[in-house]
Amino acid sequence: MENIRTENILEIDFLSKYYGGKSQNQTKALDGVTFQVLEGEFLGIMGSSGSGKSTLLNCIAAVIRPTAGKIALRGAQIQDMEGKELAEYRGKKIGYLFQNFELLDNLTGRENILLPLSLHGISEKESRERLRQLADYLEIADVLDKFPAQMSGGQKQRVAAARALIMKPELVLADEPTGALDSRNAKVLMEKLSGLNRDENATILMVTHDSGAASYCRRILFIRDGRIIHELRRDTPEETQQMFHGRILKVMAQMGGGSENVL
Amino acid sequence: MFYEKSPGMFRTLVRRNSRRNRKENSLFFLSLLISIIAFYIVLSLSSQDVMLFLQKMESDAVNKLMAMIPLFYGMTLIILFFLIYYAGSFQMERRSHEFGMYLMFGLRRPKLFLLLLAEDFSGSVLALVIGIPVAVLISELTSLVTAKVVGLGIIGHQSSFSLRAVLWTAVGFLLIKSAAFLVLSGKIVRQEVGSLLLDTPKGVKKQKPAAVYLLSLLVGLVCLTAAFGMAAGGISWSQIDKMGYTLALGLLGTAFLFYGLRFAMDFLARRGNRASLSADPRRVKEDCSFQNLQVFDFRQLEETVIHHSGAMAVSFLLILAALCCFGSGVAIARDNNWSKDHVLDYTFSDEAENEKTVLADRGLDTYFSSLFEMKVGHIRTTEDYEHAFQMETVMDALAGLPESYAREILLNNLGYATAPRLISLTGYNMLLDAAGLPVLKLEKGEAGVYIDPEFTDDERTRILNEILSKEPEAVLDGTAIRLTGEVQTTALVTDRMLTLSFALILPDEQFEYYTQGDYSVYLNGILGNEAVEGKSLLQAISAMNQKLDEAGLPYESYLQNMGRQLFYTVASSYLTIYLAIIFLVVANTVIGVQFLMGQQKAGRRYRTLVRLGADYGTLCRSAARQINWYFGIPVVLAAIASLFGERALLTGLLSFEMRESIPEMIRLSVPMLLLLFAVEYLYIMLVRRTSARYLLTLMEPEREE
Ligand SMILES: Nc1ncnc2c1ncn2[C@@H]1O[C@H](COP(=O)(O)OP(=O)(O)OP(=O)(O)O)[C@@H](O)[C@H]1O
Ligand SMILES: [Mg+2]
Repeated sequence: MENIRTENILEIDFLSKYYGGKSQNQTKALDGVTFQVLEGEFLGIMGSSGSGKSTLLNCIAAVIRPTAGKIALRGAQIQDMEGKELAEYRGKKIGYLFQNFELLDNLTGRENILLPLSLHGISEKESRERLRQLADYLEIADVLDKFPAQMSGGQKQRVAAARALIMKPELVLADEPTGALDSRNAKVLMEKLSGLNRDENATILMVTHDSGAASYCRRILFIRDGRIIHELRRDTPEETQQMFHGRILKVMAQMGGGSENVL
Repeated sequence: MFYEKSPGMFRTLVRRNSRRNRKENSLFFLSLLISIIAFYIVLSLSSQDVMLFLQKMESDAVNKLMAMIPLFYGMTLIILFFLIYYAGSFQMERRSHEFGMYLMFGLRRPKLFLLLLAEDFSGSVLALVIGIPVAVLISELTSLVTAKVVGLGIIGHQSSFSLRAVLWTAVGFLLIKSAAFLVLSGKIVRQEVGSLLLDTPKGVKKQKPAAVYLLSLLVGLVCLTAAFGMAAGGISWSQIDKMGYTLALGLLGTAFLFYGLRFAMDFLARRGNRASLSADPRRVKEDCSFQNLQVFDFRQLEETVIHHSGAMAVSFLLILAALCCFGSGVAIARDNNWSKDHVLDYTFSDEAENEKTVLADRGLDTYFSSLFEMKVGHIRTTEDYEHAFQMETVMDALAGLPESYAREILLNNLGYATAPRLISLTGYNMLLDAAGLPVLKLEKGEAGVYIDPEFTDDERTRILNEILSKEPEAVLDGTAIRLTGEVQTTALVTDRMLTLSFALILPDEQFEYYTQGDYSVYLNGILGNEAVEGKSLLQAISAMNQKLDEAGLPYESYLQNMGRQLFYTVASSYLTIYLAIIFLVVANTVIGVQFLMGQQKAGRRYRTLVRLGADYGTLCRSAARQINWYFGIPVVLAAIASLFGERALLTGLLSFEMRESIPEMIRLSVPMLLLLFAVEYLYIMLVRRTSARYLLTLMEPEREE
């Protein structure tokens, strides 16, 4: 992979987000964050609670308007987008995976997955093949006609993943996708995600507390108090996942004086 | 906390919240206004022009009606309590998060209660300030319009404003408002902070197999069809237990229908899936406004249908009741026949004196264009007066006819006609002449048949005429007599001084013989042109009545006749239409509030949709579509049912001619449906606006900062 030159899909420049106006109890949730994401990259973001991870992801997802700085997805500035353009961006350019899935509980699995198509008025026909592929790959074909209440947590998150991927987004954002899953289901999900990253060249940006989940990434940014303080890169193919996991744990220990504090 | 320390802040908060409440929940505010108007209208009924006028004529009946007003007031009180409670519960639920926040910030519960009370009170006062003038205006308008419609120029318009009504309106309104408030705020204030802050998402209930719902849908349809069939066929009106069956069948059908409706919704949702599957991708892209979120819409609807099929059924029944009330109100208003065949203005009857001379003495006879005597007496030529008359031929002819309701009644009525009164031909012919009808020619040995219009209808008259055309023979005091001509039904006197279920018209000579000169004389009068000139007939009669009262002559005037009919017409149509409006308002508020509450509960879903890239327009369109369906289902079903219901009601309530005429049906249904659609449009727009406002709050909460 290293020998192929890939281009930047996402560029973040001096991104800041302050809460609480100009008063003395202002929170700098993000304080001048700069980094790039390459096409096809699987990037992890780690940090202690309140360090600004969700804020970062939400800024990229255009749910929060940053106080300063620039976000460009394939060169398109998104911090100034509004109305229809914004909706198109949210719906078509990015896919979002939530910690608590956010499936609509009155829609079947299939209907949930197809919801983005329905929103953007795209015929299902075009995506029927893709739906089948995704369902097969994510092993959810037999729950497609069930309602979320009838699915397990792991199935729900995989259905949510299919929903995030159905539109072939440029970028998949995931905010602690394994946060509500047990370790076995978390492992399945991470395997599927990294498989999609590998096979489909899907670009994934994932926030996580879980060092195990993080070990599937190829690069990890550590943030604290709204700033990037460290970066880890997995040396593929020499470094195994276990070795990378070990390095992650070491950094976490150094940063927070023990992984308990970080988690 | 800030507003605990400064009372100024508290007041600002109250004012701000009240204003926002009014804006965000216009539905609630509208229900308040409607309650006020409804109260005032019931209470000011007695000061309406028509009622004031009728008070003079039919004081008994009017007083009876007025005695019923407290009852109506009480009923309105109860219905509107539920209305306000229901609309208010939405208001509270919508704000429960906010209340939770207040409590979290350390606002004490009594203080929260005070805050709510102050807000509520300021809302009530504003509603009264706006509502009462509107109510007075509407009441005034109804007064004028009814007076105009019934042609009352007599008394001149009197303002229907009544301070008593205003006071009682305010009292009743504040009463139910505070009762609703106490229940609602009690619920809120007692709740745990945590549960207030919770955005409770609804769970999906366990589903039964689709066949269960389909079956329920079908059973519902069958029950309803049977019920309407029974009512329209006239079966339900004959006996009380049959009516009970019909009602039970109808209610059962409604319940089944709405329970099974989720089958239809599920079907539509799945069909929506397939539609987007089969559609041409390029076309769909352009038509995206049609296709967007179709599945979501139906799933949302399905859920409401599942969770609230009971409330939907109630709304359906309320709308149906409203339509039927309105329809029968209009029908009763139109079914009046008091202006149709009115001939006589006055009838005098005084045993002691000769009325004609009395009138002449007072110079009153000149006011009449026509004054003639109607002589009516008993058969006096035989001791066995009870059985002086037999008409076997007629009865046999009747018995030979195919069975029918009219035939039964005739057989029954005529069976007792063995001692008919006798009417002299000259007087009756003068009446016919005045009515512009051909006079009756009778030879010796012939008799005409008279039946008071109250005792017959078109069908019975037709049957009798057919029999009379054969000039059947009857026996009067042992002598054969031929019955000829058509059945005479022109009323003998102006009102109710004399009503005969069966009488014989005899040539004067025979009349004198059979009555042996012992008979009553009724002097009928028709007002002359001079008397009526420049006034409406009613005004002329009113003026004449005054003169006659001074003369102390017993009389009966057309005004009484008309007054009675007018009273029943006005009272029943007024009350039915009033009920119709109340039902309609309650039903729509229930539907609207339910939708908005459901939407609020589904707030999280809408947020997810936003995250998935739904723009504001898409969400609003989706909500609008859901609202259309949500209102549409009960309304359209009720509209369809009302067409049958109306038919059934007419069968039960109205006169034969009204029932049979299709154009009349259409004329009834059109204003009814127009009213319905106008009201629905108003509500749909209102709910859409409220929903759009809510969706806007979901759009960019985090980006707003
Ligand atoms: N809407 C808001 N208003 C004010 N402050 C906020 C808001 N949202 C987040 N913050 C603050 O911004 C900082 C970063 O929050 P953020 O949610 O990004 O943390 P996080 O890294 O995702 O934490 P966690 O791991 O617990 O999810 C926190 O200090 C938080 O208190
Ligand atoms: Mg977070």
